[in-house]
Amino acid sequence: MEYIYTILILIGLYVIMASSFNLIIGFGGLISIAHPIFFALSAYVSALANMHFGAPIPLAIVLGTLFAVVMSVMLSLPSLRVSGDYLLIASIGFQLGFVEVIKNVDFAGGAGGLGNIESMYSGPHRSLAWIVTVFALAAVAVVLVHRVTSGEYGRAIRAMRDDEECFSSLGRNAMAIKITIFAIGSGLAGLAGALYAHYFQFLSPDQFGIIQSGLILTMVVVGGMGSTWGPVVGALLLTALPQAITFLNLPPSIMAPVQGMLYNGLVLLFLYVRPAGLVAKRARQ
Amino acid sequence: MTVVRLESVCKSFGGIVVADDIDLELRAGEILGLIGPNGAGKTTLFNLICGIHRPDSGEIWLRDRRLSRLPVYRRARAGIARTWQHIRLFPTLSVLENLLIGPRDYPAEALLSRLLRPGQRRASAEAARARAEAILSRIGLSEARDKIPGALPFGQQKLVGLARTLMNDGDALLLDEPMAGVEGQVYETIKQVVRDEAAAGRAVCVVEHNVSFIRDLCTRAVFMFNGRIRQSGTVEQLLASEQLAELYFGGGGPGGS
Repeated sequence: MEYIYTILILIGLYVIMASSFNLIIGFGGLISIAHPIFFALSAYVSALANMHFGAPIPLAIVLGTLFAVVMSVMLSLPSLRVSGDYLLIASIGFQLGFVEVIKNVDFAGGAGGLGNIESMYSGPHRSLAWIVTVFALAAVAVVLVHRVTSGEYGRAIRAMRDDEECFSSLGRNAMAIKITIFAIGSGLAGLAGALYAHYFQFLSPDQFGIIQSGLILTMVVVGGMGSTWGPVVGALLLTALPQAITFLNLPPSIMAPVQGMLYNGLVLLFLYVRPAGLVAKRARQ
Repeated sequence: MTVVRLESVCKSFGGIVVADDIDLELRAGEILGLIGPNGAGKTTLFNLICGIHRPDSGEIWLRDRRLSRLPVYRRARAGIARTWQHIRLFPTLSVLENLLIGPRDYPAEALLSRLLRPGQRRASAEAARARAEAILSRIGLSEARDKIPGALPFGQQKLVGLARTLMNDGDALLLDEPMAGVEGQVYETIKQVVRDEAAAGRAVCVVEHNVSFIRDLCTRAVFMFNGRIRQSGTVEQLLASEQLAELYFGGGGPGGS
């Protein structure tokens, strides 16, 4: 039963990750691969704030999330000033660099990982409390992304993505919109990371590699880029699918490559056959 | 009264001079024609005024405000509105939504103020919508408000592009070939809108190859060639000029149009 709970929690966390990444890449058209590192930075900050500074866990989670927001602005502010493409290059450096930093900070457990993180809940109903918390926050994340991408603000985001120069010439500050949606998306990734830290109670820097970017991108592409529900479906499917094939009892040496091929194959398949994803955007006239 | 003033504006790309010591004034209530062959630097001049290019030297003023160092969006908010030769409507937005991107104070541009002051946001959103509806009905496109631009004929797209800049309600209106590819009723409507906007006190500048349009609307015109202003004066003076005919039409005297 605990196993099922863990998968449900993972699905909830990946819903937050995929929805927020969709805000950045699908709605905002900002190409970044640094999503897992904001997850990781917040996870570590939240865990350490609780372990070393005695911050209560809910406060620690808020601190971790805010840290991810601040770090996202530090990445986006300089790189978006130049041109959109620099964000991708800078994000690769950011992602790879900070994983190395975490590995080399003894305070954060170093390459061996950080253990003994306190869980937010204890007692017999611990798992249930976690599921309720994670699902509630996942719902909040989906609603938040939907709110940001609809109404006047959403209209501005779409216009910006259609033609940024023309958009600016009408008096709209494209830079502010990009930094805002990047910060919201990264903050949500941070929220997922902090929750992860206090549920699994162990963090290892290798978990947050560039491979994770690929997984989250797969969820967004398969689910449907730029649609509200697409990433939810994508997260559900791609978290459940690898678990499903574990029942095949393949040896680990084959298992890992099979999963990797599965992700890659799915992205290619969807880009060819159904580029809009499973949940296609509502078409207009 | 001078609204926009360019003082010795120079700009070159690599070794190519696209604006060579340009002095120009756009005056309130006046429609200035900007003519010259392709590649003369007319659109570049618009790009310099609206901020897509920064001048290498020289200054650009909007009344007593120096624009030269401001980013594009700040110049638009200061009151500079422009159209594009290739219209550039937002393809995924409806006609009405295209207009709604245009007001100088966009409702809830700052997400934070949207969340903190919802009442103010709603008021400005409603005001913008009312203005957009009024502009659409003025140009006879109310019916098309919910269509996407791609579903409209070319001339109507052109009208929507013009209507979108009217949302700015600023002091200066820069129109890049508003008549190219347009005829019939749409032609008359655009002409009327341009006239009305000037009558309302805006400084209008029109890049146009259509000589009869220039003759009908403009009191003053400048002739550009190779990044320089070669001649300025009344439209009659310019059209009568031999130098213009030579540079524009390659020596053989005025041809068609």
